[in-house]
Amino acid sequence: MRRRTYEAVSGYLFVAPAVILFAVMGLYTVGYGFLLSFAQWNGFAPHWDWVGLQNYKDLLWQNPAYAPRLHHAAIHTLYVMIAVPLLTVLVSFPLAVLLNSAKRMQGVLRSVYFVPYVTSGIAVFFAWQYILQPDGAINSVLSSLGMGSLAQPQGWLGNPDTALPTMIVVTVWGSVPVAMLLYLTGLQGIDRSVLEASQLDGAGWWRTNASVVWPLVRPITSIVVLLNLRDSLQGFQTFLVMTNGGPGDHTNVLGLEAYRLAFLKDLAPTLGLASALGWILFAAALVIALINLRVMRSKT
Amino acid sequence: MRTPFARFTPKTRFAAVTVATVLSLSPLAACGGGSSGSGDAKSLTMWTFKQSHVAALKNAAAQFKKQTGITVTVQAYGPDDAYTTKVQAAAKTHDLPDVLEVHSDGEDFALGATGIARDLAKDVGADWSGLYQKGVQTSGTVTPAHYKESIPSDSKSHGVKEGQRFSVPLTSGTFGIVMGNKKMLAAAGITKPPASYEEFLTDLKATTGKDPKNGGVSLGLKVKATGLTWGLQPLAFGELGKEKYQALWGQDASADFASPDGQKVLGLYSQMQPYWMPGTQTLDIDAADQAFAQGKSAWDIGGTFTLAFLQQNGMNPEDVMAFGFPGPQGGAVPKPALAPLALTGLTVSATSSHPENAEKWMKFLAQPAVASQFAKDATEVPSTELGADAASVMGATLADMTKAFEGSPENTYDPNVNDFRPPGYDQDSMAEILADLTPLKQKSPEATGKALAKLNNNFWATANK
Repeated sequence: MRRRTYEAVSGYLFVAPAVILFAVMGLYTVGYGFLLSFAQWNGFAPHWDWVGLQNYKDLLWQNPAYAPRLHHAAIHTLYVMIAVPLLTVLVSFPLAVLLNSAKRMQGVLRSVYFVPYVTSGIAVFFAWQYILQPDGAINSVLSSLGMGSLAQPQGWLGNPDTALPTMIVVTVWGSVPVAMLLYLTGLQGIDRSVLEASQLDGAGWWRTNASVVWPLVRPITSIVVLLNLRDSLQGFQTFLVMTNGGPGDHTNVLGLEAYRLAFLKDLAPTLGLASALGWILFAAALVIALINLRVMRSKT
Repeated sequence: MRTPFARFTPKTRFAAVTVATVLSLSPLAACGGGSSGSGDAKSLTMWTFKQSHVAALKNAAAQFKKQTGITVTVQAYGPDDAYTTKVQAAAKTHDLPDVLEVHSDGEDFALGATGIARDLAKDVGADWSGLYQKGVQTSGTVTPAHYKESIPSDSKSHGVKEGQRFSVPLTSGTFGIVMGNKKMLAAAGITKPPASYEEFLTDLKATTGKDPKNGGVSLGLKVKATGLTWGLQPLAFGELGKEKYQALWGQDASADFASPDGQKVLGLYSQMQPYWMPGTQTLDIDAADQAFAQGKSAWDIGGTFTLAFLQQNGMNPEDVMAFGFPGPQGGAVPKPALAPLALTGLTVSATSSHPENAEKWMKFLAQPAVASQFAKDATEVPSTELGADAASVMGATLADMTKAFEGSPENTYDPNVNDFRPPGYDQDSMAEILADLTPLKQKSPEATGKALAKLNNNFWATANK
């Protein structure tokens, strides 16, 4: 009996550090952030000013300094949330199918296609900025190919009509590698006999991929879509580095707005607003996750 | 059933649990923060966001050590946003340096309100403040106007008290200084600064005509407020004069941005449209200045502080023609002056363990001989009164810039006066609308005026609640 108690205590003590860490780093910070969303605070004042739901009201409709900006940012974010997952799937699935059918150098090709993911960082986004400038590589290539009319004289990030689509392309460029790898894993898990059966039934390459492979990797597609939706909703680093929401506010997104409210307001008491926006984003992410779960359950 | 732990002795298990606990809690301990006020009795640490000030401050620090035996370590963190974040993070972890260079009459108050900056009011006597130019002697002090701005609970400086002082000035100058590349200008037949806004537009036409790719004007519009505060505002002041200029931000619909006055100003500003450097809207301030230094633009809009950065990027100050943003010929103030203001100041962190040494260092920097050397080393206008030697100390180009300061109260545009704007005013949001007029060309002057007036009225409505 004494030995069992001792072992139980040992077990609890072993898990205690993880539980304490989770309680402090997880529960405490989440709870702290939630409470902060009902307060006005600049991060340093000795006390919080409680404002109830005012931060949420200010952000959503009441305060003209915040609400219109948030509405614009929400529309831009919506475009990103639709385009990025869609384009990521459209690029990464065919790429994975091609890579899966490669007879030689599959490992090398997989590494090459994975490069954008491992190199995605501040430096790469700066490099993108140079590429997209008026005298950058993309305009130069277009001009040298005789397609100068497609070049952007103000740069691809300087024209309000091309800035957001360009940011979407850069985001997709960064998200394709992981999606492709997930698809590749899914493709390699498909029973070969299923593919052989479809070929015996006379299905060609296109039909096999469209009617057999695609439905079989649908769970992977759900994961890819969900991951990219989440990133599109909350991610902002690329936008912060490459455009800072500009030109004007034509590429401002919700994640960037939350960051700006938290850290770029020169110590104005807007941490509560940033926190409230964070919780609004959390609620949106939760709804998306639930919808995704529902869709997955009905399809699988 | 034997658990995996059963084969270990109680002592071993106890040791393993202890190690696991210590290892897992060590990151938490690290979050506890270290000691603050890094300097001991013979050393100080100072942070700046101006890379161009580092060498000059280090030279001054070497002299300071000879005199006092106190070592000052100068560290630069930039750009401005990164510096602000760094200071906030350091304040949280109690790792602030002894002295901080700050943006005067704004950031210093915010730091004072949050308890990061020390109140210097009792320590800065007349013998110290008297060393500075008249216009900036009280910079860093909470005046009645500053106090009024701090009253709303959402003000950045909410909590400061009238009479408190959170910084002393280091550099002076102003925004809205236009710089031209003398060689490129000469190639287009321009040898003297334009006398009016119209002449400036003619000059811009000449340089872009001569070199369509590199003849335009650069401005770091990625930092949203630059177009509004460095371009439109001085232009509006010149066109309308002080009262009507201030009325643009008022509550009277007959005088705001949507009014004929507002339309006139926006129409004038939109005439810059053909002359922007391609892509200038994607550049931050440093990148725009770099583009000018590299010959990618013939003109650059900045401030007196820009010259130091240009020099740092390989441009000879003698190759720069500098002048204040010119007023329109038929405007109320055809030749507006630009009021000098303290641009950066020095503040002592509240956690400094040797504030008396920090203040000694700040006072040392205010001495005319030290400030003269600083001006030469940093190519900056110091806040210290240099007397008749100022022009020779600062060099011809910087001295030219300071000519823009010469004016009467009525014809001087003072960017430091903000009390006519609504409390809670957010210039970035206004500037985003203005960017749609030019260079983005998304809105007409009429639509821009309406949008600016609407936002400004919304600020008033919120403030009047």
